[in-house]
Amino acid sequence: MNSKHIACAIVAVVIALLVQFTLWFQNSRSAMQRQAETAQFAETAAADQLARERVQLAELRRQSTDLIGFLKTWQPYFESIDNAQSAEVNYTMRVKEANLVNLAQRFELGTVKNNPSIPTAMRTYLTFEDDYPRLMNWLGDLEVKMPTLRISSVRLSKGTRPIDLRAEIILEHPLLKK
Amino acid sequence: MQIASKQIDDFKTERKDITPPLPVILRLVPLLLYCSIIIAVVLGAIFFLQLQLAIKKREGHRIETENIAIETQKTQSERAALEAEIKKATDIEAWVAGSRPIQPLLVEIARSMGARSSLIDLRIERDPDAPAQLKLAMKIGTDTTKQLDTTLDRITSQDYRTFSPQQNLGRGELDYRATLVSRQQRTPDVVPETPAP
Repeated sequence: MNSKHIACAIVAVVIALLVQFTLWFQNSRSAMQRQAETAQFAETAAADQLARERVQLAELRRQSTDLIGFLKTWQPYFESIDNAQSAEVNYTMRVKEANLVNLAQRFELGTVKNNPSIPTAMRTYLTFEDDYPRLMNWLGDLEVKMPTLRISSVRLSKGTRPIDLRAEIILEHPLLKK
Repeated sequence: MQIASKQIDDFKTERKDITPPLPVILRLVPLLLYCSIIIAVVLGAIFFLQLQLAIKKREGHRIETENIAIETQKTQSERAALEAEIKKATDIEAWVAGSRPIQPLLVEIARSMGARSSLIDLRIERDPDAPAQLKLAMKIGTDTTKQLDTTLDRITSQDYRTFSPQQNLGRGELDYRATLVSRQQRTPDVVPETPAP
């Protein structure tokens, strides 16, 4: 083997390297193209999921329009008195303002069944003995001014005097979960 | 096959050839080198452009996927918040439905008493499990059941239906017990009579 043969061999190696490099480059390109395709599939899948989520959200919005409107109307009433102390003060003031003969008054914090948003309610136990119109007017006025109020129990019976009415009332004021 | 030695390099220097010339077939090697270089450059350029395009495309899809994922998460959060609102609204509606004013009912029952009757005792309690239902228990001072019919008519006028009635008449007193269920439940379009605080 002379120097020309060696030169030929080197050139052949260079050619092989060039071919190898070109093939490597082609493989890199193909791999990248596959990655791009995978990324495109992922994007399409994500876009489909987003479209489904949007449809579900729009449907939920459509179905709950009335309910959300109802919530917007009523929530301020529930939030106006949202703790036990405020509720106690509020009812004490209302009883005092009414100037009714109040025989007993007691407050108690109770749990509300099957209502996670209103887990507790302030229960007010009231016993009055006063004349019928005053008591009924006060009770009616209270129910109008405190629309979230729930009268959970009321007992009317004859009072000590003939004109008097004895009323034992249990009021429940809802306390929204914060 | 003759290949011109002036045009194709045969790795010879200007010096006097001291080695024998390459066989003719091996003279193709330089030609192959030139072709390889040209093809490698052309293909390399094409592959490079395609690679760059693929990288750009992949990155574009990846960024877009990330944006979509953020948007999806935002939509899911909105849906979760809306579901929480709906749950809250349902709970509030349940409370409101079980808080229908009962003072008008009390007044109607009291007003229904005739001249020869009197209301001795009246008790109305909400069912803790179904607050919209009222348990009515009343004791009327009367000798006949006619007064009861009048009172029940007045209760019906308040949009209540009576269930499971029980009555007992004796010694001039009539005991009556029943469950009252409102015909008109509060619906979402019902608004409070007083303005919002």
